[in-house]
Amino acid sequence: MTTTESILKQNPPGAGIPSRHSKKVMKGNIAAAEAVRLSRVSFVTAYPITPQTTIIEEIASMIARGDFDAISVNMESEHSVFAALMGASLVGERVFTATSGQGLLYAHEVLHAIAHMRLPIVACNVGRPSFPWNIWADQSDSISQRDTGWVQYYCESSQEVLDTVLQSYKLSEKLGLPVMVVLDAFYLSHTSENVYIPDQDLADTFLPARRITENQVDLNHPKAFGGLVDPSLYDTYNRQYWDAIHQVEDETIEMGHEFGELFGREYGAVEAVNIHSGTKRILVTMATITTTARQVIEHHPDVGLLKIRLFKPFPKKSVLDVLEMADEDCIIINIDRNFLGDHEGALMQEMKRALYGKPVKIFGIYAGLGGRDVPPETIERILKINFESPQTEEVHWIK
Amino acid sequence: MLSHGKPVEIRGHARGGQGMVTAFEMLAKIFSYRYNFEVQAFPFFGVERTGAPIQAYLRIAPGKILNRSYIYHPGLVVVFDEGLIDQTPVFDGLSIDSIILINSEKPPSYYKGKARDIYTVPATRISVERKLGSRSLPIVNAAMVGALLHILEADIELARDIIAEEVPVKPEANVDAAIQAFGEVYRFKDAGFRPQATGKSAATMKKPTSEVPFWDKPMSVNKTGNWRVFAPSYVERPAPCSDNCPAGTGVRQFVKLAAEGKFDEAFRTIYEHNPFPAICGRVCPHFCQQSCNRIELDGEVNIGAIERYIGDKAGHMAFEPVPVVHSGKIAVVGSGPAGLTAALRLRTLGYAVTVFEALPKAGGMMRSGIPVFRLPEDVLDREIARIEQQGVEIVTGKKVTVSELEGSYAVIITAVGSHIGSGLRLGNDEDVTDGITFLREINIGGRRNGIGRGERVAVIGGGNTAVDVARTVLRLGGDPVIYYRRTRNEMPAIAEEVEEAMKEGVPIEFLSAPVALAKGDNGRLQMTLQRMEMGEPDESGRRRPVPVEGSEMTAAVDRIITATGQWPDGYVFSGKNISAGQGRLDPALAGFRTPVFCAGDMAWGGTVVEAIGSGNDVAGEVEAFLQNREYVKPAKSSKAVTPGEMNFSYYMRTPGYATPVQTPDVLLHNFDEVAGGLDEDIIMKEAGRCLHCGECYSCGNCLNFCPDAAISIDDENRLRINFDYCKGCGICVKECPCSAIAFAEEGKTN
Repeated sequence: MTTTESILKQNPPGAGIPSRHSKKVMKGNIAAAEAVRLSRVSFVTAYPITPQTTIIEEIASMIARGDFDAISVNMESEHSVFAALMGASLVGERVFTATSGQGLLYAHEVLHAIAHMRLPIVACNVGRPSFPWNIWADQSDSISQRDTGWVQYYCESSQEVLDTVLQSYKLSEKLGLPVMVVLDAFYLSHTSENVYIPDQDLADTFLPARRITENQVDLNHPKAFGGLVDPSLYDTYNRQYWDAIHQVEDETIEMGHEFGELFGREYGAVEAVNIHSGTKRILVTMATITTTARQVIEHHPDVGLLKIRLFKPFPKKSVLDVLEMADEDCIIINIDRNFLGDHEGALMQEMKRALYGKPVKIFGIYAGLGGRDVPPETIERILKINFESPQTEEVHWIK
Repeated sequence: MLSHGKPVEIRGHARGGQGMVTAFEMLAKIFSYRYNFEVQAFPFFGVERTGAPIQAYLRIAPGKILNRSYIYHPGLVVVFDEGLIDQTPVFDGLSIDSIILINSEKPPSYYKGKARDIYTVPATRISVERKLGSRSLPIVNAAMVGALLHILEADIELARDIIAEEVPVKPEANVDAAIQAFGEVYRFKDAGFRPQATGKSAATMKKPTSEVPFWDKPMSVNKTGNWRVFAPSYVERPAPCSDNCPAGTGVRQFVKLAAEGKFDEAFRTIYEHNPFPAICGRVCPHFCQQSCNRIELDGEVNIGAIERYIGDKAGHMAFEPVPVVHSGKIAVVGSGPAGLTAALRLRTLGYAVTVFEALPKAGGMMRSGIPVFRLPEDVLDREIARIEQQGVEIVTGKKVTVSELEGSYAVIITAVGSHIGSGLRLGNDEDVTDGITFLREINIGGRRNGIGRGERVAVIGGGNTAVDVARTVLRLGGDPVIYYRRTRNEMPAIAEEVEEAMKEGVPIEFLSAPVALAKGDNGRLQMTLQRMEMGEPDESGRRRPVPVEGSEMTAAVDRIITATGQWPDGYVFSGKNISAGQGRLDPALAGFRTPVFCAGDMAWGGTVVEAIGSGNDVAGEVEAFLQNREYVKPAKSSKAVTPGEMNFSYYMRTPGYATPVQTPDVLLHNFDEVAGGLDEDIIMKEAGRCLHCGECYSCGNCLNFCPDAAISIDDENRLRINFDYCKGCGICVKECPCSAIAFAEEGKTN
């Protein structure tokens, strides 16, 4: 038997493909575009910026090839990209765009408006920093938009990108909240790996082909939006928004179960790995650093991993549930791939907020900023820090 | 490797543009789809483009891949470009088991000491042989995939369709390249290899020297010049206008000078190759204009009008004869464009030259064959006078033979033209005139030819002579009809002249040929014509007219003028039947003691400008003969800039100025020039429409687009490339509007 024959006998092509899926090797950006097609989005706006551009390019190609029935419009800026989505979403279209770094920051004003107009818009952001000028992986762009009111998911793999976009439309249309799906630049956007693409009818079973919410605007009964709201009413809208935000974590978990039943891949607001009563340290991670951390903790039976998938609103309940399972003296180590001008990174801030009043030892690590590679050796170095010592600083910069 | 079922980590080093990222994606697909492995392929890009060193990573594993970082300890290093080995640490992190694969013509033993298991594959040669890649870089990815599949013990047959599908173009050639490379991998085992400690520095953070990053010399940090595989260079390529001028005129140059208002310099530029600018500005079919790249944008530059203006404006310019420095005298028989051009060239080289002309005035066919309403006599007189000013002696009214001249001249050039027209050969020859004779008698003999008012004149033929005859007949009061056996598309006459003739009211009967001629009782001629239809192309490429059976018809005419062909007068060779070609006559065949050269229409027929070119050539041939050298005719370039090589987006659409043609209200006895000239400001604007094909005109696009600021303007206002920083990305080449930047492999030229 030749080498080929023996390998093919062990691994026949097609083995391991979940039912009603086809396997393809594709980049994270292409998986995002595939998800947009499967979500039956009808209107896309586009403005190029590295490293996002291949998402909108792929969408444009699909439309040009006749594989995807949607309209894609090239706009003159990201501000217009999001403004046009507002209009299209108001008249009932299922809409999408993708951006990165400076593009997202330029759209900042419109992001607020979209959220508070309660528009079910989904956008991908492929994270890169702003300044010093850099195109590589960093989450400071999307995290600096955490107070605009958008729901934010951070993805670990191309598969998760595809699955999260599908789930985001459902959540977004159910709660009337916009969702940002965040990809790490290059580590995800430009990395080709196996992705299982669900058949369209399977996707349709999960996400109805027509938008769940009713059209906001009926052209026979026109309405105006964006008018002045006086102090006697303003906060009442905020209060309604507050109610909606409180449902996101539970909806995410519920939808993750439903998705798992249909597609065979389960998702939650967070994911816990190796967290049990014997866990002495927990690495808290987001996005692609998580994958490498999974390998490292295989060699450390007392180290657990907490992956934050839903970052905004921060899933406090899920985090507390996970930490319940760990040793009381467990040390929490947060890895932040963002620097936003404060003592600690955003993940560390959110974790501190979630754990307020709990007697936990919590530390923050700045790692992987501006695309600095985070190989297993870096994570090993983090684990070598003597967190037990009272002299150890709360925040570390790791190369 | 695969047979061990262990994860493989591969690191690739290449230059942007070689296709490595696609190669790794192809491999990922092959191992995922055909072998069911988990795969992970990703590149590390800088902000740079073509030619920059890039890295890519590929992990292949039977189970989940739990690492998304770069590969620091590769099991296999693949190098797409050997040149990188000296520039980047491609072999860092090798272990004792690591394999290296290098794209190289060298045997793998050349890399002894770099790894224990060394492979080479001549991927560049394999790819170049199959014309894979652009002119900027050979794309070697399919060949490298083939070699990697060999090392990874995969089955190339299983990879075929994936390779074919993944490459953007030439799927078969790429698959062939992969298969050839799969079988052309060379291996060398270096048992003595010991990996060196890579000395990776401890985890300390580099301390920056300032709070904010800044560059006091922008773009100066990274001398990106050493990435360069291909290098741009400013070149001057032939423009199609200049390249297509049979006289070899520097058309692009004179148009440029005209745009700058430098008309004297423009005249001298034309005069270098063509002593008749004002004439050619009027009667030349302008091969330059016909090949102008601007046709593809918004219409050709009116080069004819520019040339005419330059020629007319040069009246004030004085020319002096150069001293005669050579002893042998030269005789030229015939004072047409070929004879006079040859005479002027040789006279300015210091030879004494005498031109003999049979007619009372010099000019040859320009004098006798072109009607004055197309070429006024004073224009012709002025340009011939200038040649005389420069010392050429012209003897008119003297019809000579070579034999008469022998003994008195070192060389005799015959350029007697083609002044004998063909008849109809259908009988009644006394009522049939040939067009060449007709025009000569009108032009030289005072514009009378006994054509009565309203006389019906059949003109047979479709060339310039036929059209000139018909228009002349019209002005003499006759009633001409042109009969031509093909269609308008095949007419050899200049299209504008045909157009003008039709506007003046000359009817043209296409697809009709005379087959019989009889004299009617009333003294008029009964011409029988047969209808033709277009058949298969003949050897000249034109479609052959085929008679339509039973389609005969008759026309009553008063006179027939034929313009169906013309040939040289054999008198110059004393009636000897010598077929003359360009250059020296074979002395054995001709039987003359004196070397005899031929040029112009008698040698090969054509237009005025082609005769001028022939005159230039014969002068070169004679000079080479007298100086005992070999004459090398300047070759027509095959590298003239084509419309496809122009970047039209950088030119504004600007409509051109047409030559004003005033169709006269009254044609009878009106021999005024029909075509007019344009004013100086219009001529400068029209010349300003020149695209400068193949010549830098300092637009600065290259400087503006260069991402490395490697292009600057020097003290003499010329663009310069700083090769310390030029990384060979080719953007300047792409953005050059007029194809004046070449791009060739470093150290080679295109």
